[in-house]
Amino acid sequence: MKILQFLKEKKTLVAFDNQQLINNAKIKIKNNHLDFTKENDYFVFIDNYDKYDKLSFNIEKDINVRIYLITYQNKNIKIEYDFVLNESSKLELFTNFNTRKNNDLDLKVNFELSENAYLKLMNALVYNGNLNLLTRVNLNGKKAACELEVLNIGHQNNNFTVDQFVRHLNKSTVSNINNSLIANQMAKLNYSVSGFIAKGNELSKAHQNNKGIMLSDKCEIEVEPKLFIDEYNVEASHGAAIGQMDEMQLYYLLSRGLTEQEARSLIIFGYTNPFLSMIEDKDIKRMLTSQITKVMKEKANNE
Amino acid sequence: MVFAGGINMTLEIKDLYVSIEDNLILKGLNLKVNGGETHAIMGPNGTGKSTLAQICMGHPSYKIESGDILLDGESIIDKTVDERSRLGLFLAMQNPIEVPGVTNFDFVKAAVQTRMSKDEHLRIGRFILKFEKASQDLKMGQGLAHRFLNQGFSGGEKKRNEILQMKMLNPRFAFLDEIDSGLDVDALKLVGQNVTELKSNDLGLVLITHYQRLLDYITPDFVHIMINGKIVKTGKDELIKRIDQEGYDWVKKELGIEEEDVKPYSLGVCPSKH
Repeated sequence: MKILQFLKEKKTLVAFDNQQLINNAKIKIKNNHLDFTKENDYFVFIDNYDKYDKLSFNIEKDINVRIYLITYQNKNIKIEYDFVLNESSKLELFTNFNTRKNNDLDLKVNFELSENAYLKLMNALVYNGNLNLLTRVNLNGKKAACELEVLNIGHQNNNFTVDQFVRHLNKSTVSNINNSLIANQMAKLNYSVSGFIAKGNELSKAHQNNKGIMLSDKCEIEVEPKLFIDEYNVEASHGAAIGQMDEMQLYYLLSRGLTEQEARSLIIFGYTNPFLSMIEDKDIKRMLTSQITKVMKEKANNE
Repeated sequence: MVFAGGINMTLEIKDLYVSIEDNLILKGLNLKVNGGETHAIMGPNGTGKSTLAQICMGHPSYKIESGDILLDGESIIDKTVDERSRLGLFLAMQNPIEVPGVTNFDFVKAAVQTRMSKDEHLRIGRFILKFEKASQDLKMGQGLAHRFLNQGFSGGEKKRNEILQMKMLNPRFAFLDEIDSGLDVDALKLVGQNVTELKSNDLGLVLITHYQRLLDYITPDFVHIMINGKIVKTGKDELIKRIDQEGYDWVKKELGIEEEDVKPYSLGVCPSKH
């Protein structure tokens, strides 16, 4: 198992591959089931794992946890992650999926939220390969709430197909989705963003915000924001703003002396910075910054 | 690069004809600004005042048909926007642009750093103190550094933020394009005071305005009236007072200028070439 150096120093590390398990965090693990019963920040590192096709994470009632989930794959893989947030639990989940050999990843991430449970998902997709990602959130309990934040940088000829489904299955449930998408070179980013509010689930709120920037003529970003609402007394909105780099922004920065490359980098930084600033752990933030810098430099080198 | 300083500094616009999308806006404009001088340009809507500022900065949507812009005697019309900025030109824009996700601090720091030579390093402590001082001087409130560039700013805050950038970047020639619009009386006074404090022999100022009120706080050395794409009259305080009282009809009558059906040209987006 090749654990990232900075993770080795984390006292709450849980790392495993098909053969080995490191459980510094001392959480309950049985087969493919991880049980979080104590409040803490956890670092979960999964290396080239395909022992089970599903992993389950259970967040105990009334518990607040933050999990940094980092995975690496050496081959094409299909895997499913289930997260159960019990009553009044809070989960702040950072996910970062990586590949060592430009592998294809087929991923399902499911969340079940009980009453008053709260989920904040920060999904950093700087994946180097093709990715199919299905994120499903069921807001089962009253006042369950979720925030989905995605930063997706596509480069080379990566294909990203991302489906997001949030189902409001009880009253006063809340969902906010913010997707920040950057495509360069020949990358294709296809997003389907769906919110469902079933009849009777009044006072629920569903908001979707998608923004995308295309840095080359050959890349594509396609976003379909959808809301399916069968209840009158709700609040909902959706929108998508996709385009090339704003030329007026560029002119403004140039007029202050920044070179074109500096100005473009700063505008791109403006897309990534709000996401990065949400990450509490400095090492994780540094890791993601380094990943972003690497793929953006790759673009500059190829031009 | 060694710049001329003080009275040796000049920005000269010579017989400049400028068009946008085949509409001729500037029609033989001449203007010379020396270091230490403050020029006010007044005129009715649509006469090309903002075009003058934008073309000097190098806005890519405008086309120079003929004429020249000389900085210290050397033409800059082939220079890119960023090169002109680094040569010392500054434009406080009428409608400052919002750049989400980029903090004021990161932006100004990048703009200061890009002016440094390769062997220079930004002394961050000194920079922070200067930024905070400029922010306090302009009463921008705490937290300005971490706010995204112009995003969510009121009209007045955006204009004050332009002056803050000017203070941080120490330009040699600055165009302030309707810096007074959107400012209440107190903010106008504050901006006027801050710009006046910046006055020195190492700064040439061009104020573009419709109203006397800005010139109550920033005293110009020269007042120019611009009509139909060129400067038609130059004077001093007496011009401001007369314009304030009588508008521009008397100038047209006095000089025999015929009315043109000109509307202000609005720029939505500009192309990427620069």
